[in-house]
Formats: sequence, structure tokens, C-alpha cells
Amino acid sequence: MATATVAGPGTLSRRDGAAPWRHMDFTLLVAVGLIAGLGILMVYSASRNLGHDPTYFLKRQAVFCVLGVGVMAAVATVDYRIFRDFGPLLYAGVVAALVLVLSPLGSNSRGAQAWFQIAGFQLQPSEPAKVALIVCIAAYASHFRGDLDGRRMLGALLLAAVPMGLIELQPDLGTMLVFAAVLLATLMVSGARPRHLALLLLAGVVAVVAVLQLGVLKQYQRDRIGAFLKPTENVRGPAWNLNQSKIAIANGGVTGKGLFKGTQTKLSYVPEQHTDFIFTVVGEELGLVGSGLLLVLFAVVVWRTWRAAALAKDLSGTVICIGVLAMFVFQVFENVGMTMGIMPITGIPLPFMSYGGSATIASFAAMGLVLNVHMRRFS
Amino acid sequence: MSSDNTRLRLSIVGIVVVSLFSTLFARLWYLQVMDTGTFQALATQNRVRTVYDPAPRGRILDRQGRPLVENRGYQAITVIRHEVAGKPEVVARLAALLGVSQTELQRRIDDRRYSPYKPVPVAENVPEETVVYLRENSLAFPGVEAQTVAERTYPHGSLAAHVLGYVGEINDAELSARQGKGYRLGDDIGKSGVEQSFEDDLRGTPGATRLEVDAAGNVLLPALSTTPPKPGHDIQLTIDLDVQGLAEDSLQKGLEAARGQRDRTTGRGFEAPAGAVIVMDPRDGSLLAMASNPTYNPADFVNGIKPDLFAALQDPNNHYPLTNRAIGGQYAPGSTFKLFTALAALRTGIIAPNTTFLDEGAYTVRGCKNNKCTFRNAGGHAYGRVNLPQALTVSSDAFFYNLGATLWLGGGPNRQAIQGAARDLGLGERTGIALAGEQKGRVSDPDTRKKAHEQNPKAYPNGTWYAGDNVNLAIGQGDTAVTPLQLADAYAAFANGGTIVRPRVVARVLGSDGQSVHDFAPEGVRKVAIDPGQRSAILQGLKGAIANPEGTGAGAFAGFPLLNFPVAGKTGTAQVVGKQDTAVFVAFAPADNPQYVVAVVMEQAGFGGAVAAPVARRILDGLAGAPPGPVQLAGGTD
Repeated sequence: MATATVAGPGTLSRRDGAAPWRHMDFTLLVAVGLIAGLGILMVYSASRNLGHDPTYFLKRQAVFCVLGVGVMAAVATVDYRIFRDFGPLLYAGVVAALVLVLSPLGSNSRGAQAWFQIAGFQLQPSEPAKVALIVCIAAYASHFRGDLDGRRMLGALLLAAVPMGLIELQPDLGTMLVFAAVLLATLMVSGARPRHLALLLLAGVVAVVAVLQLGVLKQYQRDRIGAFLKPTENVRGPAWNLNQSKIAIANGGVTGKGLFKGTQTKLSYVPEQHTDFIFTVVGEELGLVGSGLLLVLFAVVVWRTWRAAALAKDLSGTVICIGVLAMFVFQVFENVGMTMGIMPITGIPLPFMSYGGSATIASFAAMGLVLNVHMRRFS
Repeated sequence: MSSDNTRLRLSIVGIVVVSLFSTLFARLWYLQVMDTGTFQALATQNRVRTVYDPAPRGRILDRQGRPLVENRGYQAITVIRHEVAGKPEVVARLAALLGVSQTELQRRIDDRRYSPYKPVPVAENVPEETVVYLRENSLAFPGVEAQTVAERTYPHGSLAAHVLGYVGEINDAELSARQGKGYRLGDDIGKSGVEQSFEDDLRGTPGATRLEVDAAGNVLLPALSTTPPKPGHDIQLTIDLDVQGLAEDSLQKGLEAARGQRDRTTGRGFEAPAGAVIVMDPRDGSLLAMASNPTYNPADFVNGIKPDLFAALQDPNNHYPLTNRAIGGQYAPGSTFKLFTALAALRTGIIAPNTTFLDEGAYTVRGCKNNKCTFRNAGGHAYGRVNLPQALTVSSDAFFYNLGATLWLGGGPNRQAIQGAARDLGLGERTGIALAGEQKGRVSDPDTRKKAHEQNPKAYPNGTWYAGDNVNLAIGQGDTAVTPLQLADAYAAFANGGTIVRPRVVARVLGSDGQSVHDFAPEGVRKVAIDPGQRSAILQGLKGAIANPEGTGAGAFAGFPLLNFPVAGKTGTAQVVGKQDTAVFVAFAPADNPQYVVAVVMEQAGFGGAVAAPVARRILDGLAGAPPGPVQLAGGTD
């Protein structure tokens, strides 16, 4: 470009709409692209034997990724501050969608009222809701210019409690926990008082203990936690699933069994393997080399997101990036940790890896937000 | 909020993130590097199922290679479980075809002894037309097949049953004792006889097919690997089919004949419920025949013995047909023991071969003053002045009473010279034959008497050994007991000049090509020094027992071609408290170049010379090449 002789980056780019694209984070793009590509391959390996058409899930996941890239580009194009300014509207939309999905318009699958059935595809509103809520919190925080006293923080909590409560009604404990992680991280960088954050953490611990003690949990949730605590019980059930998952990962060893050669994978010993337990395919077929590389790629995404948060032009950009970061880190840690037996089993997908349209597209949208903040760090 | 504050908060986020990722890496390292071996084994255990095919069991052949145990293929109907699962109409159809109830058929299909990955046999020995019908209507019977299954057959019925032994389903104890050898529930295993002792050779190696199984239990074909079964080795016995048959037949005929005799003591007929015969080659210990009566049919055990049949085999009234009396029966040897007394007397020098003694029909121990001091000859007969050979020939008890008393009363090391001679020739210890169930017998002496008294004062009120006990011992009475095999082995050692040979029943193990895999060479246990002059004196007495008209075995051998085929032997009649006399006879022939030792023991059958010797004679007739006739009972008093 011929606009090299400029006084400062800010003055010029404000007038030039294409300028932000020059500050694109290609490292982040490449990392996301590699993860998504590996995800498609792993979904194929895990789902080859599931139906009549071995490429059914492969083709659909590829389509989701293409759609996701489109959504990511669209989200990156519109200045995040415009999203921020529409925060209240976004919030209303999220609440409306979560209410609607609980109505007869939504559909129930495997015990959770969490999907809209639209022309052969299932849309899970809680996935885009996660991303939208991040923007809402950013809007709320920047509205108070990073000064969240007790009352304001309580307000944020109340606002977040509505969608979280709606999700728990589905029920979807995992997604609710993602919300909680996002909330905690964003409140922290939004300027909440340390003692309030400490109180919030304490309340969280008390809540978890109370939930475990008071028997609020559904039977399947208790089984899953039991499986995590006592993995040898329950021959066929959550504990069996968990053992098979660990066997698959460890079976890979350092170099893996080779693509399509994992016996645990090929013979369907790991349940839900193309969705929640996709990491076991990487572990078994590509070994420590492959699964370690995948974790490194995730770490790169997180690092670039953290960096975008640090470089952001304003507080709302920082909060958005930290929200996305919290969402990713929590999902990766919980999902990978669950497959390796260090976290209880919850139905949380691994971003860009697990088969599923809503989650994949929502993850790309979240990346769009990070790219958005990053490339507008000077404007 | 200041920019520094935001930096601090972002740093905290960064630290949390780094620690979470470090946790994941650490766990990944632990699973995939440090503990991968454990989990890889679990993964293999998950997916690989091994299905075993039993190998055809080896045959058992006689010394000339004639089969005594073989395998026969027969048609069995098998069902593949998962193919008939949820198809009650197929089960109903098959039940009707086989003529069993549906419940019964389902029970057989669900039999947990069979691997879920293998066809389950539900009917055996089905008629040919059933097989044909099934093949023609295979569409109506999915998962049902006719298969050839091997089973043990016995072309000579119960012949040599105790040597061969039988095969049955492995039990829990046998299974846990053989862990790691690839045995599983439902497998066959040798339960007795050679089938048991040579199980490892006969069994072969089962074939193994390793199948890959998915999480739903479906088998993925082709198999990961297939190892065909390796057939078991054949066992070639030293037993000769013809001699064995002759021995069993003679024993049976002898027992039957004895039952027709009147017992003068009890006034009833003889019970003669059981007996045993050994035919052995004294040069190398090879057993040509080993018979035990009553016997059983090992074929009854094929595919599981019927409970009532098994109960009958365990019934005391049937005298335990499964017991091999030739190695497991312990009998008072009676006068056959005089061989050892004679050896002891000559070895200690208390008599010379030609020393004479006046047999007046009874013997009174010197210095003894009660009514138990006088011992009478069997039958009360007085033989006059006899030397050692003559005393053996006529079986003079008084002569040997004197030896027993003299040795004991003389004191010193000679007090136990008789027991020493008996133990030298192998009494009181197992011969070490390769068959389970051998007893070691007992040589009675002051120590065993004392122990018996301490353990059971009622049966043995006296713990002290008196001269009278030595007198009894000298003629094979008292607590001394031998197995028929021990008796044969001891006489074999005398016959071959002093070598104790280990009796052997298996000559070699043969591979599937008929070549020997392992030869069992004759085994000399030890050499016992027998002075040739002393041996010749005893031999003279034993020959006389057969050839001399006065001999106790002469009646049984009347008409036997002794000139061409001289026989030496000794009769024995053992008194057993509460029972009729045990008839005993041991012989070897040809007397000067022995090739055969024949030992006969018959429970509650009367005099050895009258009952047991005729059985041996009939066997020796056959061995000498004469056609065997009936068992001709003889007269006699010993």
C-alpha cells in the first residue's frame, strides 16, 4: 500500500476502512486452521464405522468449518465496539433464544431440551449464547469504565444468572460451568474488587459442596462424578467409559498407533468419540507427539488471545478477549482433563475438534472477536 | 482502573492458564509415556479373544504298535449362539428334530463351558439321516451345523483299563494346578493310568485363533492369527496286548474257579472278589501285562460318565473296580516271603545251604513258656528232616520258624536280617513305576510295631517285638504287606542275579510321524550282592516247588513242559484277620535264563498253590507257546 508516509497509525486508519486487515494475527489464524483441519480428520477416524456412509460426519464437520470461517470473517469485519454498543440487544436475544428452546419449539435429545431442529441441522443456542454473553459483559464493564464496585458487580452477576439459570433448566451443567468460568475471568479484568472476587470464589465452592451434598444433581450427573472418584466401579457405564478413554489415550504411547489404526477407536470402545471424547482419537492414533502438538496449538491460540487482550485499544476489547480466553481454556482443560481422568465427565465439546455445528461455528465466531480486537488495536 | 492494575490482573490470568496447561501436559506424559505399558495390555485384553481348539489326543499302543486307545471322529450338531439368539423358532425346530425339549436344548446352548465365540455342541452321535436333513434344510437352521468331533475309543474294551486309565472333564483342582498350560473349563484331562501320567505328551497343543472383537462383541474377520492344533504324541507301552489279554482272562477264570471251591475254614465257598496279576521281564523291568480285577470300561467315561455308573464304580460292594490292585493293593505275602528269610539266613551264616532241620509239623520257641509259643505248619503236615532247598520246595513253615526265632534270639545285628533282605529287594518302598496310586507296602519290624501301637493301641495292644513276631515274619505273616508289583520286582531282582530294575510300563513316546520322540530306557535302581552259591541253593528250592512232586506248585504245573521251559516259583497263602486266605504265587521262567516273572495275588481265594499257581500256569502256558486251556485248580496246602 502506498500510505506509508503517515504521522501515526491511529490517525490514518481511522479514515481507511481496510486498514485493520493489515494488522491481522496470522499466527492465530494458522493455529486455528491447523486445529480445525486436524479435527475434521479425527472426526472422520472416529466416525468411519458409525453408519452406512463413512464420510457422513467428515463432510458435515467440513461444512461446519467452512461456515465457521465465514462467520469468523463476518464477526471480524464489524468493529467490536459496534457489537458492544448493541450489548443490551444481544442480551435480550440470548435470553429469548434460551427461553424459546425450552418451549415446544425446541427439541429434546438425550434428556436435554437444548436444540432447535432446522432442516436437518440442529442448532444449539447455548453455544452462540456463550459468545454473545462475553460481548454483553464487556459492554457492561466498559459502561462503568472498569470501576465495578459491589453493587455493580452484583448487577453483573444477576444479569449473567438469567441465561445460566435457563441453561441449567435444559439441563446442561457443562455449558453453565463454562459461563461461570467466563464470568469469573471477565469480572476480574473488568475491575471487580479483589475481596468481591474472593467472596465469589468462596460462594462457588460452597455452591458446589451444597449441590453435591443436597442431592440436587440428576442421577447421571452423580454417576459421572462417581466414575471420576472411583473409576473401577460400574462395569458398563460412566466408569467404563472413562476407563476406555484412558486406555485409548495411553495405548497411543509416544508415537501413536497410526492414523486409522487405533484399536480402541476402530472397534468403538470409547463412547461419544467423535464428539466429547475426540481427544482420545488423537491420543491413540497420533500418540504423545500428536496430542502434545494439539495442546501446543491450543496454547498458541490462548497465547495470541491473551496477547490481544493485553494490546487491546480499550477495556471492552480486553474483556472480550479474556472472556474468549476463559471459555477456551475452561473447555480445553475440562474436556481433555475428563478424557484423561483428572476432571469429572461433563458434556463439553473440545473447540474446533469435537463434531458439532453450533459449537464449531460459535468457536470460530469467538475467534472472529479476538481477531477483531487485535486488528483494531490501533484504531 | 489503572493500566498497571489491568496488567496485574492479566498476569494472574496468564499464570492460571500456564498452570492448567502444564497439568494437562503432565497427565498426558504420565498416561502415554510412564504408564503406557499397563494400558496397552488393557487395550489388547479389550479387543482380543482367543478361541482354542483341542488337539487330537495321542493314541496308546501296545509294545508291538497295536492300538489300545484311539480316537474316532463322529458327527455332532453345533449351534452358533449369536446366530440363534432371538430366534426361538429355530431352537424349536431343532429341538423337534433332535427329539429333546426346547428348554433342554436352550440349556445346552447356554452351557457356560463353551466359549461364546465357538459353536456349541448340542447333540452328539446323531444319526446320519439327521445330518443329511440339516444340510438339505440349512436355510431353516441358521447357525446350526453338523461337525466332526473326536472322541476316545477303546478297540479292546476294558482290556488294560487300569494301565490305560480314563479321560474326563477337568475339575477345578486340576485346573488351578495347571494354570498357564492353556487348560480351560470343559477340557479333557487324563484322570488315571497312563492317560494321567503322560497327560503332557498325549494332550498335544491346542490350536488358538485370536479374534478381534469390537465394543459390541462383534467378531471382526479375518482372525488376527490362527495356530492349528498340534496333535498329541502316541504312547507305546511295554504291555503286550496278547499277554495282557491272557493275564486278565486267566485271572478272571481263576477267580471264578475259586468261587466254586469250598473253604474248609469257614465252610462256605470262597469269595474271591478281586485279584491282580503282573507279568514282567526281569531283565529290564518291562511289564508285559498288569491286570487288576474287578475292572471297568474306560469307554464309559467318554463324554461324561453317567452318575449311576459312577456310583456303582465307587460302591464298596463292587470292590472298587477303579483301584489298580497291582500297584495299589497291599497284601500279606505269605510263604512267598520265605525267599527273603532264606536270603537273610544264608547271608548271616546261621545256616549253610545244606544245613538240615527236623520239621515235626510244629515249632516251639526256646525258653518261651506260654501257649503262644508253639507255631504249627499250615495244614499241620510234618516234613521230616529238610535242608533249605527242600524247605522252600515243600514250604516247610517249621524250618523258617526256626530261622526267624534263631535270628532274633541270637541278638546283635542279625535280629533284623530278614527285614534287611526284604528291603534290599525293594519291599517297603515304591518301585517308582510311572503310574499314580502306587502304595509302598510295609516291612514289619520292632520300630513299625512300636509306632503302630502308639497310634492305635486297640488294634496293636502290644508295642513290643517278641521272638514270636520274628517267627511270624519269617513266613510272611504279621503286619508285612507287599503290592503285587513289589513282589514281582523283588523276584525279578533275584531272577536276574541281583539288579533291582524299575518297572516300566511305557517304552517310548512317538511323534505323529511314528518316530520316537523319547525312549524310556530300562533303569536299574541298584545292585544287590547275592552270593552265587546261595542263589543256586534257593533257585534249586524254587524249581523244586514246581518240578518236584512234593513241591507246593507241582499240582498246578502237572503236564507243563518243564524240560523245555523250566519254571521256578513260590506259593504263598496269607491269613488275613476276618477274611479268607489270600492266595499268592510268584514264578519266573525259564528258570536258568529268566525272561518272565509272573506274580498272582487273589483275595479270599484259598491256597496259593491251589488257586494262584494255576492262574500263573495258564499264563506261562501261553508264554511258552502252548494254547491256553481252562484254569485247572490244584490241591495243596500252601
